[in-house]
Amino acid sequence: MAEKHKPAPMVDEVSDFEILEVAVRELAIEKGLFSIEDHRRWTEYMHTLGPAPAAHLVAKAWLDPEYRKLAVKDGVKASLDVGIDWINSMPTNFGTPSDYCNLRVLEDTPKLKHVVVCTLCSCYPRPILGQSPEWYRTPNYRRRLVRWPRQVLAEFGLQIPEDVEIRVEDSNQKSRFIVLPVRPEGTEGWSEDQLAEIVTRDCLIGVALPTPGVTVNTERPVHPAVNPLQHDH
Amino acid sequence: MTSKDPDTGQTLPDLDTSPIKLLEKVRREGRVWDELSEQYGVDNPDPPWRLSLESTCDALNGGYWKTSDLCASKDDRPREVDECKLDALERRSEEDVLATDLYADVPFPERQLLALAHSMIRRGLLNEEELARRMKEVDQRLNMA
Amino acid sequence: MSKPHYDREHHVKKATGIGDPQCFKGEAGTARFKVGDKVRVRDLPDIFYNRCQVYTRGAPATVVELVYESPPAEDEAWDNCDNPEWFYSVVFKQKDLWSDYPDTFANDTLETELPERWLEPA
Repeated sequence: MAEKHKPAPMVDEVSDFEILEVAVRELAIEKGLFSIEDHRRWTEYMHTLGPAPAAHLVAKAWLDPEYRKLAVKDGVKASLDVGIDWINSMPTNFGTPSDYCNLRVLEDTPKLKHVVVCTLCSCYPRPILGQSPEWYRTPNYRRRLVRWPRQVLAEFGLQIPEDVEIRVEDSNQKSRFIVLPVRPEGTEGWSEDQLAEIVTRDCLIGVALPTPGVTVNTERPVHPAVNPLQHDH
Repeated sequence: MTSKDPDTGQTLPDLDTSPIKLLEKVRREGRVWDELSEQYGVDNPDPPWRLSLESTCDALNGGYWKTSDLCASKDDRPREVDECKLDALERRSEEDVLATDLYADVPFPERQLLALAHSMIRRGLLNEEELARRMKEVDQRLNMA
Repeated sequence: MSKPHYDREHHVKKATGIGDPQCFKGEAGTARFKVGDKVRVRDLPDIFYNRCQVYTRGAPATVVELVYESPPAEDEAWDNCDNPEWFYSVVFKQKDLWSDYPDTFANDTLETELPERWLEPA
């Protein structure tokens, strides 16, 4: 007897939010705020984006010291080797208005740990890393990471020894950043694909360390802020 | 009433954060993706309209050759740059204010969507009545058996 | 109130196929600072749009890289792309930014990029 293929579950109702998104978009197009072609180009571009190229950049850098040097010196050139062209991708051919064309790869060492934030607005290296996670965009993360990085990292489950320098990178201008973490033990002899699998998006932002066996981003624990937002500047 | 951005000290644009009736209705009655995906057992962390929303935000920012002009050679005819209708940084700043004040209890990306609609209505890019009418129309269209 | 609707055609022509900030390469002239220089963030008046975080004002830092040339965001917002400046990546000790930063973590730092106008020699 042939086995019946069970269809994948789907959401079988239309929510008001879905309706709102369509309505806003259609009206915007009718009023000439943007064209349907532009919207399609952007959506097609967005669909190509995800964290895999950045993960492969790191894996390649772990395997090849010359590529590592290139990645640290010229992130845009190194991106080409993982299929990402910061300059010539559609829809603009000069980098998207939000992302620009200056990727900087931040090299961790056993004594230096980087973590990335954009306090001003949540800039993120979308062309090589995809869409930013929700928590990255919140004022909660943006204001607290620069001031209490160790507490915020602890909420992500990361405890860094006190003699290791934590360097917060506040991405406030045209550069966009990914972290090149230290290659973990227990990965000797691994292929590029195997290595890339453990370089999660959170590792590339700097809030997690690559770990053999861990291939997903952990759920962000919801902690009430130990030091709540203060407008004391 | 203006305020200062605590991070840069710059004066923030005026934003009327008073509730908009239509959006309050969506907020109250709309089912968020977190609920829907759980109910139907769908794995995808994002609703199907998520990327379309991101594209709308980028397309509103403009600032590049209009795609309809991309194929035209430089000698053919003057190419047009897509105008900025809603600057990305201003939109983000308004989204931050709205996310903290008005739409704090709404999960992301529903919050981002409400904030965008709010900004557009307050700036006169969209009209609340016509948006309500269009939503009714879209609702009928999408729910046709 | 949105930014003025200005003609962006010049920028699009200049940057297409070349990239931004790459399209400004060579336009900022001689850099005032070099890698290793000790600088301090100026506290310029915040009347208009800027991207210099308040928490850095008046703090000492070290230049670690000359990253690119570009009109500062402060000028770009008003379509003034005539005067690109050198942008520097500078590193602060966290202790110099936050007076209550724990001494236990004396090595911790923060890095950010700033255009030349926001820096002076320390």
